[in-house]
Amino acid sequence: MKVEAELPPRTRPSVVELESELPPSAPEPLVKRLGRVALGRQPIGLAFGAPYALFIAVLFAYPLGLSVWISFHSYFFTAPGMSVARPFVGFANYRAVLSDPAVRQSLLNILIFLVINVPLTVGLSMLLASALNSLIPFRAFFRACFYVPYVTASVAMVAVWLFMFNSTGVVNSVLGPLAPVPSWLVNQNWAMPSVAVYVTWKQLGFFILLYLAALQNVPKELYEAASMDGASWWHRLWAVTVPGVRTVTTLITLLAIIVGANLFTEPYLLTAGGGPSGKSASPVLLMYQTGIEQNHPDFASALGVLLVLLVLVVVAAQRLLQRHQA
Amino acid sequence: MVPVRSSFVARVKLRATVVVVFTLSLGLSALGGSAVASAKPAPLSYGPINIWYSNNAQEITWGEQEVAAWNHLYPSQKVTGQQIPAAESSEEVIEAAITAGSEPCLIYNTAPAAVPDFEAMGGLVSLNSFPGAVSYIYARTGALAGMYKSPDNEFYQMPWKSNPVVIFYNKTEFAKAGISTTNPPLATYSEFLATAKKLVSSGAAKLAIDPSPSSEFYEAWYDFYPLYAAESGGKLLVENGKATFDSSAGQAVAAFWAQLYKEKLAGNETYTGDPFADGTAAMAIVGPWAIADYQGKEGSPKVNYGVAPLPTSKGNTSYTVPTFSDAKSIGMYASCKNRGTAWDFLKFTTSESADGKLLSLTGQMPMRQGLEKLYASYFKANPDYIDFAVESAHIIDCPYVSNSIEVWQVFRNDWSKAVIFGSGSTDAALASASAAINKLVASNSSP
Amino acid sequence: MTPATRTEDESTVAPDDVVEDEPRTPRGWWRLALLLVGALVFVFPFYYMIVGSLQKTQNQSLSGALPQPGNLTLHNYSEVNAALDLGRALINSGIFTGGVLLATVIFGVLAGYALAQLHFRGRSLLFVMMLLLLMVPFQLLIIPLYVLIVRNYGLGNSYLGMIAPFAINSTAVFIFRQYFMQLPKELFDAARIDGANELRILTRVALPLVRPALLTAMLLTFIGPWNEYLWPFLITKQQRMEPLAVALANYMNTVQSTVANPFGTILAGAFVLAVPAVVLFLAFQRYFIAPNIGSAVKG
Repeated sequence: MKVEAELPPRTRPSVVELESELPPSAPEPLVKRLGRVALGRQPIGLAFGAPYALFIAVLFAYPLGLSVWISFHSYFFTAPGMSVARPFVGFANYRAVLSDPAVRQSLLNILIFLVINVPLTVGLSMLLASALNSLIPFRAFFRACFYVPYVTASVAMVAVWLFMFNSTGVVNSVLGPLAPVPSWLVNQNWAMPSVAVYVTWKQLGFFILLYLAALQNVPKELYEAASMDGASWWHRLWAVTVPGVRTVTTLITLLAIIVGANLFTEPYLLTAGGGPSGKSASPVLLMYQTGIEQNHPDFASALGVLLVLLVLVVVAAQRLLQRHQA
Repeated sequence: MVPVRSSFVARVKLRATVVVVFTLSLGLSALGGSAVASAKPAPLSYGPINIWYSNNAQEITWGEQEVAAWNHLYPSQKVTGQQIPAAESSEEVIEAAITAGSEPCLIYNTAPAAVPDFEAMGGLVSLNSFPGAVSYIYARTGALAGMYKSPDNEFYQMPWKSNPVVIFYNKTEFAKAGISTTNPPLATYSEFLATAKKLVSSGAAKLAIDPSPSSEFYEAWYDFYPLYAAESGGKLLVENGKATFDSSAGQAVAAFWAQLYKEKLAGNETYTGDPFADGTAAMAIVGPWAIADYQGKEGSPKVNYGVAPLPTSKGNTSYTVPTFSDAKSIGMYASCKNRGTAWDFLKFTTSESADGKLLSLTGQMPMRQGLEKLYASYFKANPDYIDFAVESAHIIDCPYVSNSIEVWQVFRNDWSKAVIFGSGSTDAALASASAAINKLVASNSSP
Repeated sequence: MTPATRTEDESTVAPDDVVEDEPRTPRGWWRLALLLVGALVFVFPFYYMIVGSLQKTQNQSLSGALPQPGNLTLHNYSEVNAALDLGRALINSGIFTGGVLLATVIFGVLAGYALAQLHFRGRSLLFVMMLLLLMVPFQLLIIPLYVLIVRNYGLGNSYLGMIAPFAINSTAVFIFRQYFMQLPKELFDAARIDGANELRILTRVALPLVRPALLTAMLLTFIGPWNEYLWPFLITKQQRMEPLAVALANYMNTVQSTVANPFGTILAGAFVLAVPAVVLFLAFQRYFIAPNIGSAVKG
C-alpha cells in the first residue's frame, strides 16, 4: 500500500516566527543578503533537494501533466513513428466518464467500501492498539500477528482468501447453512463488502502501530484521574483515549480514504474483471481496463483526473472540519 | 572579420542550408511516416530477428524446434525465440510493447480479436507487401482466410492454427450417473440440460460444465460464441457493421446458458486450475489444446474423456456445424527491421512439414486445407483428433472491427449480469449489448 | 520521560493501565483474550497459507485447516520452483527493492532533511509536490510513465526502468522530514556557528539521532517494491526479469492442471514471496515500535 499522509495542523512554530525571534546580528553585506533573499538562508538546501525535485519533475509532474493533456484530447496509443490526429475535444472525455453507468457503479462501490472500511479501520485499530498498549505478556508476538498481513503481498494473500472464501472453502464449511449463496466474492451484495473486509484486515497492522504511537503520548495522569473518578475501561476509552488521539484519527481517516479511492490491486485480483455485474469494480480498475486493455487512455485519464479532484475535495473538507473542531 | 568574407559567408550559408535541409527532411519524414506505417515500399532486409511464442508447453517445444532448425540452416539470420511474458491476457503486453517500440518481429500468439486494434496503432506490418504473400495465405488456408483480412483487404495477420471448440465429457462420471458414454444425449438444448441435471443430482460431478465465469473480454469465446456459431449457422458477432446476436439464435443460446447457471449446473465462481481436469465439472467446452492437460502428468489422474459436437436448439450431432475457432495468428510487427527474414521464417514455420510437426506435437489444428488427407498417418494413429480436423473447416472467428476488445468487453458485461448472475432478462441484456456495440462499431475511428 | 528516549521495556507501565491497588486479573484477562482472538483471526490466513502449501491433495474442508500427517509434502515448493525459477525471481525482486532502498536512503534523506531544517527558495513548492504525489493514484500516471520510460528513455525490460518510478519513496521522505523536524533547532544553529557545512551537519549531527527512524522508513519503503505487481509486469518482457510478485501473479492465472495440487503450488509461491518481508519485519521489530512513529505523528 502506498501510504499517504496529510500534515496535521502545525503545532511547531513556523519558520517566519522563528526567524523573527533571532537576535539581531551585524548588518550583512549586500550580496550575501541578496543571495539569502533570493535563495533562502541555506541555499545548499537546493542542492540537497535537487535530486528529489528532479525525480518529482520528471517522473511525476511530467506524466501527470501529460495525463491531464491526454484527458482533453482524443488519444490512443500508437507505435513509434506512427502519427495520428489527436484533436482537442474539450470536456468530451469528462462527459463520457460522468455519463458511463460503469463509472457510476464503481464510485458507488467505493462508497460502500469506504463506509465499511474506514469506521472499521479506525475503530478496530484504536481498540486493538488500546489493548496492545496495556501490560500484557507476549506483546511482541501480538504485534507481529497484526502486522504480518500488512507486510505480505496482496498477490500472495489473495490466493489464500480465494481458497478460503469460495463456495467450498473453510469459511463456508464453518458457516454451513448460513453461508451466502452464491458465495462471498461472486455475490452481488457481498462482493464489495468482502473486498472491504479483506483490505481492512490487510492494512490494519499499520494503523494499529500509528495508534500505538499516539497512545504513548497521551499523558498517564489523565488515565489516572479518570480511573480515580471511577471510570470503567470503556469510559476511559471515550473520555481520555479518543480525544487524546484525535489528530491521529484524522490522519488515519484520511489515509484510509485515499487508499480506498485508489483501490486497484484487490478488486483486480480478488474479483477478476470487476466482479458480479461490476459490483466490485473500482474506478482505478476501470481506468486500467479502458486505458490499458482497451486502448482508450483519454477516457481513463479523464476518470483519473476526476478521481484525484474528488480525493482533494474530501481531503480539503476533512481539514476544514478539523479546523472547525480545533 | 578577415577580408575572406565571401568564403566565410559562403561556408556559413552552406552550413545553414545543410542544417535547414536536414531539419526539413526530418520533419518531412516524420510527416511521411504517418498514414500506414506498414506501407513503406522499402527494400527487404535480412538478419537476426526476435520472436515470441505462447507459454503453452507443447507450443514452446514446437517453437524451440523450429527456431533451432532455422538457425541451423541460416546462421546469419539468427532467430531468438522466447515465451510471451504474460498470463491471462497477452494483449496488454503486446500493446505496451508496441507503444514502446520494443515488440519482437513475429508473435505466434496474436489473437485475431486484437489485430484491428494493433493495426490502428500502427503496430502491424501488412503482409500484402511481401511478394506472393496473399496467394501463399490463400493456398494454405483456403477461403477461410478471408475472415482474417482487414476491411481494406490487407492481411495484417497470418491465420496460423485453430482449436475448434467442442464439448468434452468425462466418461467415468457419465458412467457413474448412468449416462451412455458412447452416445451421450447432448444434441439438443433440452437433452443437454437433462443430462446436466442428471450428472449433478446423481452426485457424479459437482458441476455439469464450468466455463470461466469471470468478466474478461475474451471469456465469451468459450461459452456464448461457440454455441452461437452452431445455432446461427456461422454468424459472426458483428457483420456489416451491425451486431447480429439480438436474434432468436442469440436469445436461444443466452436462455440455455442462463438455465445452466440458474440450476447450478454451471459454476459462477472462478475456479483455480481446470475444473474438468480435476473432475469437478463433468464436461468442458474447449478445443484440442486442452487434451494434453486431460491426459495428465504425474499425480494428476487421467481424465477418461470423450468428445461431442456442440448442441443446438434443434439438435446437432455433426462436426460440420460451425464453431468458434479459438484461433491464433502470426503477426509481423512494425518495429521489425529484418522483415525479409521475418517473412521467410514465417513461411518456414507454416510449411507443410512445420504444420505437421505442430499438429503432432500440440494436437492443435494448423489452418491448412485438407488436414485429414495431408496428415493421414497422424490421424490414423490419433483417431480422436479427426473430429477436430473436420470441425476446423467450419470455424468462425472474431469480427474484424475496430474497438474489437471493447466490443467484447461490453458484450461480456451484459452477458455476465443477466446470464451468469441472473439479474434481469437475457433478451434485454442482448438487446442492450447489441445497441451499445452498434454504436461502438459505427463510431470507430479508422486509421 | 520523552517518547523518543523511552525504550521498549515489558516492565514499563503503559498509560492505559492504572496499576496502583486495582487487581489486574479480571480486566487484564479480558483484554488478553480479546487480543488473542484478534491475533488468531488475523494470522489465520497466513497460517492457512502455510498449511495449504504443504498439502499433497487439496483439502478445503475444515479439517484441512489442520496439518494432516498423511497429506504433507514439500512437493508444491519444487513444483512452483520448476514453473517459476524462484531463485531468479527472488533475485529480481531483490535488485528492484534494493535499488529503491538505495535511492531513497541517499536522496530521500537529503530531501527530507532539506525540507525539515533548511530554508531555501522553492522549499514549500517541493513540499506541496510531495504531498500531491502521495495523493495521486499511480494508475493515472502509469500510462504516460510507461511511454516516457520505455519509449523516450529506452529503459524497457531493464532494472532501471523498473526502479525509476519508485526510486525515491515519498512516504519515506515525509517520515524523514517529520523526524528531522523533531530535532531541536538549536542543535543545528550551534553546529552552524561552529562552522560545519550542511552536509557534515546532516551526517554527523542529525543522522545518528534519527537512526531508528531511518530503519523504520526503510522497512516501510521495502514493502512497496517488494510487493509491487503492476509496474514490473508492464515493464518486463522476459520471464527472467520478472520479480517474484509478477511471476507469482502470472502463475496464478496460468496454473496448469498437470500439477497435482494447483492451489498448493500457488500458496507455496505465495509463501516464498511473503517470507523475506515477514522475516525482515520480525528481525527489525524493535525499531518499528511505537516511540519512533510516535514522534513522527505527534506533530
